Order: sequence, then structure tokens, then C-alpha cells
Amino acid sequence: MKQWDAAFKFAVLLPLAVLTGYFLLLVGSQSAFFSFFGFIEQLSRADIRSAIALSLIAATVSSAVAVGIAIPSAYALARIDFPGKRLIDTFIDLPMVLTPIALGTLILMSWNTAIGRMLAGFGLTIPFTLAGVILAQFTVVVAISVRMLKATFEQINPRQEQVARLLGCSAFGSFIHVTLPLARRGILAAIILTWARAVGEFGATVMVAGTARGQTATLPSSIYLAMSMADLPQAVTLVVILIGIALLVLFGVRMVLEPQT
Amino acid sequence: MIRVQQLIAKRGNFTLGPIDLDLGNSSYLTILGPSGSGKTLFLETCMGLVAPSDGQVWLDGQEVTKIAPERRHISYLPQDLALFPHLNVRENILFGARRRQLDMTRVESRLTSLLDLLALHSVIDRNDVATLSGGEKQRVALARALLPEPRLLFLDEPFSALDATIKRQLQVKLREINQQLGVTILHVTHDQEEAFMLGEQIAVVISGQLRQVGARDDIYYRPATLDVARFLRNQNIFDLTVQDVLPDGSLQLGDDLNLYAPGHAGAQRGQKLATGIRSEEVIVIRPNKPIGPELEDNLFHATVDDILVFGGTHTLCVKLHNSDVTVDVELPNCAMRDLGYSVGDTLRVCLRKRSLWTIPLDGSALSREDQNDQLR
Repeated sequence: MKQWDAAFKFAVLLPLAVLTGYFLLLVGSQSAFFSFFGFIEQLSRADIRSAIALSLIAATVSSAVAVGIAIPSAYALARIDFPGKRLIDTFIDLPMVLTPIALGTLILMSWNTAIGRMLAGFGLTIPFTLAGVILAQFTVVVAISVRMLKATFEQINPRQEQVARLLGCSAFGSFIHVTLPLARRGILAAIILTWARAVGEFGATVMVAGTARGQTATLPSSIYLAMSMADLPQAVTLVVILIGIALLVLFGVRMVLEPQT
Repeated sequence: MIRVQQLIAKRGNFTLGPIDLDLGNSSYLTILGPSGSGKTLFLETCMGLVAPSDGQVWLDGQEVTKIAPERRHISYLPQDLALFPHLNVRENILFGARRRQLDMTRVESRLTSLLDLLALHSVIDRNDVATLSGGEKQRVALARALLPEPRLLFLDEPFSALDATIKRQLQVKLREINQQLGVTILHVTHDQEEAFMLGEQIAVVISGQLRQVGARDDIYYRPATLDVARFLRNQNIFDLTVQDVLPDGSLQLGDDLNLYAPGHAGAQRGQKLATGIRSEEVIVIRPNKPIGPELEDNLFHATVDDILVFGGTHTLCVKLHNSDVTVDVELPNCAMRDLGYSVGDTLRVCLRKRSLWTIPLDGSALSREDQNDQLR
């Protein structure tokens, strides 16, 4: 029996070791092209600083709007029964299974409708603008946010909300005083992951907003531009920044979700 | 205090009701029924958490059927207590008073008396409700429910997760609360001991229907329907036929067993009845022991067929002579030790007429008057 246990342990640890090694190879291979002084030099370039700033601003706005809409939507899906709920629940997942390029196409096409033209009439232009970057990122990340928050709300015991109602809270009061505080870890995790996904968004953003340096080029689209022009130092600098952001996010999520000991 | 009229509620394929119930001030009603019988749905509908399909709920003479739960002034203690883990013990208890913006001077004084009553002074300053023991959590949840001075307190199987000792302590405490604070309590349970210990009145709900409401003895000794009798663990139930209605109104029954039983309105010859007696009401008598005339009716010779031991009691399964009928007799251990019966012993059993109940088998339930007559 002991031998079988050891064999099983080995069988599950081996793929994990291979996977870890592969990721280390991916990250480590950057070091051949990376130098600290080169990194600082790249950071002093206006177009790179613009890409970083644009990525951070657009991701912050798009993820804030996404989470802001996802909280009530996810709560409704988790708690309220209404006709067509299963259909809507499935439909909202669409951006998660659709390739971002296709999503970007959908956004552009939708702007060519009466509603799009009306919004353009009010000065809201989406193609090749910062608003386009934000809309593209929002469209990609909002479904992730809804899915995460729905799972969070479903984990909260509805009895706690019912007891709050009977202790004097309205439905909104019970949501504010009981549900939201109990969901705070899930909401924080959703904010962090949504923001991280928005920072890394490429396909839909490129389709909707293009890659105009200093205007609509984000970190991922700048990496694409740098690689297409064989500018490896710039590409590696941007990759290292993205890796840094990703590690910070993963660490942040762990801090939020894992109970403090 | 609370009155429900023709209340019907649905959840999925399950339908509760129609239910009619009237409960006065400061009463203690236990709603007893098997799991899945609709007890919790009944509470939820009365509290306004579930909208009824039909019927009305009245509180203090005011119809509240369409009024939001928070405006009904009912407090609720669910089975899992639903303490708020993001709040400390004091914040949990004060939650309702703060949300209702009650006068804090009055609240503080009531809090002090509740902490005394529920012995919660030692835990009131705890930061994490997860560190409380099961009994402490129960008392904190009870204090939280009672602090806003509710009109009614609804309890849904509140002691099901506790060990026997703590459960008994809290049951005694609940009775004190009902008497000292005068709060009307509706307590849902499937535990028959708990229901009979606490409820001044007991309502039996089976398969979504309110089968019987009444005082403890009514329910215990005079079940109105066969499913109530079975649910209340009446072991000795016999299907018999009315042979004669005697001049004093009592019935002579026959078929597998010849018995004299209390009568009821509308009883007539040839009517099919179920009659029964609780096992602890059966009297056992040694074969040669002289007996008084009050035990001469419904007296049978029998043989001990089996003996079952249940902690503090023994159940003798005795087979009546000249028939296939077996009767269960429950005896406390001390009586069993004195009598010293063993399997194969012969004895006499008396199914006293006044201890028997009868239920017509045509589907009708006995009226309250008939039940009272039988009790007398």
C-alpha cells in the first residue's frame, strides 16, 4: 500500500514540477534581454510612460465601473428569482468564452447603430479613443466580475439577511449592513482580479482603440508594437512591468482571501 | 396577538395550508411536525419572508399580510442562529435596537436585564462570535432577538444542534422568558419532548396541513387524526368496528379485539374506527392479583413476547391470549425491576376505557368537543 501511496504522490507532483519549471523558464528567459540600466532608460521614454499611465487609468476606471455594475447584478442572480434568469445568467458569460478580438468587433459594430450614432452625437466617441479603451476593457472584465461576485453572494447564508430584515432593516438596509460586509473579501478579490485582467487586456482594446503611441497604446499593445518592430529591450521592459503587476495582484488576492493566522 | 386565516403558501411543488390559527398574548405555541412538513414555511409566511398564495395574517388586530417583514415587529431565531460574523457580540445583540433607532437609555437598561437573564455578562465584550460555545451563541442570538422588544418571537428548531444538558438549560430559560417578559412565542420543532415541555398549546403540522391544535393533553392523549396518532408514537392502534352504542354514550367495539371505548357524536353501529392507547397508559397486573371493578373492563390475559430496553424505560411487547393482537406496554426501569417480567411470563393487561382514544376511519377528524368529552 505504501508503495502505491508514494507512486500516487509522485504522479501528481511530477506535472506540478513540470509546470513550475515551464513558468520559471518563461520568466527567466527574459533575463537574457534585461538590464537594469536599460530598464530605467526605457522608463524615461514618454511613449512608455504614457502606455503605463493609460493602462493604469483605463484599467482603474473600467474595473471600477465593472465591479459597480457587477455587485447588484450578481446579487440579483444569486438571490432573486425572475423569469428568464437562467438564460440571462448564461448570456452574461458570453464575454468569457468569446475571443476578445470578436468582442472588439462587436463593440465597433454596435457603434454603427442608431444608439451608437446618438451617443456619438453627444460627443461620446469610442473608436480610437481613451473611452474606447475603457469600454473594451469593461466589456471583457465585467463578466468575470459578475461570476466571482455571484459565487461570493451565494456563499452568504440568506438567513442572515432574513434575520436582519426582522430586526428592522429594509431590503436595502440588510444588503448594506449585512450582505456587503460579509461579502467584502469576495468583493476585494473581484476588484483586484478584474483590475489585473483589465491591465492585461489586448485583443478587444486593439480592435476598438487601435495602438496609437501616446494616445491609445496600452502596456499589452505597446509590447505588441515593440515586438513587431523587433525592439526587444522595450518589449522586455514592458513585460517585466506586467509581470511585476501580476505578482503584486496575486499576492494581494492571497492576502485578501486567505484567513490571517 | 397573531391570527392566520386560510393561509396558503407554496414552495416548488409543496403546498402549505390552508391554515387557520389564533394565538393570544403571552402564549407559547409549539408547532410540531416531521421534517419537511412545512413548519418553517409557515413561520416564513407569517414573518413576511415568503408571500402567501392566499389567506391573511393578522397581528394585534391589524392585517399585515402585505406589510414588509421589518414592520411586523417579529423577532426570529433560526435553526443556524445566523449570528453576524462581521460584528462582535455586543454589536450583534444591539443590531436590532440600532436599526430600529430605539431610545438607547431604555435599550441599555433592557440589555443589562437580558444579560442577567441569559447569563451573558462574561461574553458581551468578545470580539469574535466564532469563539463562543454552542450554548453561548444560542443565548447571544436569543438576546439579539429579544432586545428590540418584539411583539412575537419565532423560534425555528433553535436547540437542534445542542447537547442534551445545554438544551434542557435553554428550554427552562425560554419558559422563564415567556413568563417574565410576556413575549408571545411560536416555536417550531420536530422534537416531541421539547414541544410538550414548552408549549402551552401545540399545533401538529403534517404534510403541509395543520392536523390538530390544542392543549398538551388534548394532543397527547386524544389525537384527532391517525397520522397525528402515529406521529406522536402511539404504538397501540387497532382498527375495530362499533358493535353497540351503550346508553352512557360509550362504545362497544369488536373484530380482532373486544373493547369498551369512549363515544363520540355520530357514532353508530357498524362504523369503522381506529382506537388506541399510549403504551405508558396500559396497566399490567400479575395473574392472581385481585383487582377493583374499575379495571374489569378491557382486561386481557397475555404473554410477554419481547422486552425492549430504552435507557430509562422498558417496553414489554405482550401478546393477548385468544387473539393475534400485540400490545406495547411502557414501564419505567424501577417498575420493571419490581415486577421482574421476562419473555414467556403470563400477566394481565388492562386497556382502561378512559385512556383509549377513537378516530372514525371515514376520514373525518374528531371535533374539539368530542376530544374534550373523551378526555373527561
